[in-house]
Amino acid sequence: MLRSVKLLLRRVRAFVVRDFQLMLSYRLQFFLRVLTILLMVTTLFFISKTFTGRADCPCAESPFAQWRDPLAAWITGLAVLNYFMTGFSSLANAIRAEQTQGTLESVLLTPINVPTVVVASSAWDFVQATLFSFLYLFFGWLFYGVHFQGSYWLALLFLVLTTLVLSCLGILSASFAMVFKRGDPFAVLLGTGSALFSGVFFPTQLLGAGFSSVSRILPPTYGLDGIRRVLIEGQGLAEVREPLLTLLLFLAVLLPFSLWVFTRAIRRAKREGSLIQY
Amino acid sequence: MEDERDARLRETVDASREPGTEAGRAVAVSINHLSKTYPVPLARLKSFFRRSSRPPVEALRDVSLEVREGEIFGLIGPNGAGKTTLTKIIATLVQPTTGAVTVRGFDSVRDAERVRASIGLATAEERSFYWRLTARQNLLFFARLYGMEERVARRRIDELLNLFEFEDAGRRFGELSTGNKQRLAVARALLPNPPVLLLDEPTRSLDPLAAARLRAVISQLVRFEPPVSILLTSHNLTEVEELCDRVAVIGQGIIRAVDTPRNLRALHKQTERVRLTLRGVERQAIEVSLASVVSELEITEQPGAIVLAFMREMNDDTLDKVLKALAGARGAQVLGVESERATLFDVLTAFQQEEEVKKNAALG
Repeated sequence: MLRSVKLLLRRVRAFVVRDFQLMLSYRLQFFLRVLTILLMVTTLFFISKTFTGRADCPCAESPFAQWRDPLAAWITGLAVLNYFMTGFSSLANAIRAEQTQGTLESVLLTPINVPTVVVASSAWDFVQATLFSFLYLFFGWLFYGVHFQGSYWLALLFLVLTTLVLSCLGILSASFAMVFKRGDPFAVLLGTGSALFSGVFFPTQLLGAGFSSVSRILPPTYGLDGIRRVLIEGQGLAEVREPLLTLLLFLAVLLPFSLWVFTRAIRRAKREGSLIQY
Repeated sequence: MEDERDARLRETVDASREPGTEAGRAVAVSINHLSKTYPVPLARLKSFFRRSSRPPVEALRDVSLEVREGEIFGLIGPNGAGKTTLTKIIATLVQPTTGAVTVRGFDSVRDAERVRASIGLATAEERSFYWRLTARQNLLFFARLYGMEERVARRRIDELLNLFEFEDAGRRFGELSTGNKQRLAVARALLPNPPVLLLDEPTRSLDPLAAARLRAVISQLVRFEPPVSILLTSHNLTEVEELCDRVAVIGQGIIRAVDTPRNLRALHKQTERVRLTLRGVERQAIEVSLASVVSELEITEQPGAIVLAFMREMNDDTLDKVLKALAGARGAQVLGVESERATLFDVLTAFQQEEEVKKNAALG
């Protein structure tokens, strides 16, 4: 058991080191990304000033407690969305990237199973997402005086849980990529849907009755709500029980289902001989 | 005649599977009644929407053969014969429809990971590497996937780089020459010290010198301790003849024959092509003298000499008759005699022609 875990970690490390080395070969891209985040936070700061600097600013009496400091709400939303999208898309992207590069076959020729390839080859994306998400919050704190409160551990629990739920959807997406190769409907629904319906840029309550039901079936809504409640409103475990339980329920249903679909997709691709095709 | 030849072919296939032959060497790869039919992707969905689809592709049909320990086993056949499918099934990348493949006793479906730990596959596919990583970084990445410890992996990589006289390990893969890329592919396949090596056209697109160097390394591998068993797929039949202990001819997914290159040549074409270089005689005189001796005679005029070529069955008296007839042509001097026995190319061509004949007969 211990040996298997060590072996798994060694392989995950292999992928992380590989992707780090590849990233180093594209240094400029990395620095441009960091710069983009800084510019985005700066832009949001000035947009938020248009509200908070006014005497009739509705922010102070806003019925949406999380949005009294719009900059804090936005950068939290973007940081968390960045992480969630990685959880959701990196698994399918990992398979697709190896397929298109032509390296999937050589990777699968080593004694490593497909699920390990999928998880390990997306590990670097999570490392990167952690860094970039941190940068949103860090730049907000360093340059624009955004302050966070509450338990960071509880926020982390929300982050991990939501990422796991989205990874289940990512596994479904990867299964889709393995069988149909392109045209993933999960990417369209969650990619565009999350930013609009999960409350990244505005409170979900503004969506109205019709759209708020869409918002309620999206896991990022609960993750984002939980994290903002903890970090911005300073709420504790007892107060955020509801979104936490909802995420656990999502996980309990989606995890076994996605693994079952994934196993079938691999079997099918091997039978058709299309595992490495794209 | 056909039945007799088929019986002989069956004998050679069966003989290749007898345990204990060839100095009692153990079996490294065993392929038993393997068939593979590629299903039509999303067939049910297509039929639901009443969309026409191509019929399933039958890539392999009841293939059985064995590769012994320390043997270089060649697999030859035309494009689409099933060579790549067979290699991929052994490498666990594709699942067979029926039948089984075992590598050192491990089943390719049930024990896929153990099988992969026992094999190395080198193809001529350049895209199987990360182009922006250096040769060494590429090898280190794959060594880690094999579960090798860092120190062991680095030592092994140095060994392989020495074996292949590789001096550009610090350069990006994309900057390497084709020959170096190919050698790196074989080096990668050897990383885990696999007892079984699958080589898919390893010298494709190499210049003759680089190909010869790679062949020299390949022939060394079977002399290692423990020896490496090699399944070599190639279109270069001279290479197969030079390297392989035994060769299987595959066509339309069926193994047509398995034997040593020498036996295959003898089995299929017991003829040779004879070339005589003459001088002091006119072309017309030769044609007259040999008209009743050789049915198909090729005559080529060269500066100061005439070269004539003809086919004869092994050990018949055609050559004797030709020489006697030429002795009758006044002034004729024989400068040289060369003979060229059937090559694997002739064997493969003959099998292909046979397949064509069968196909045409089936079509009526």
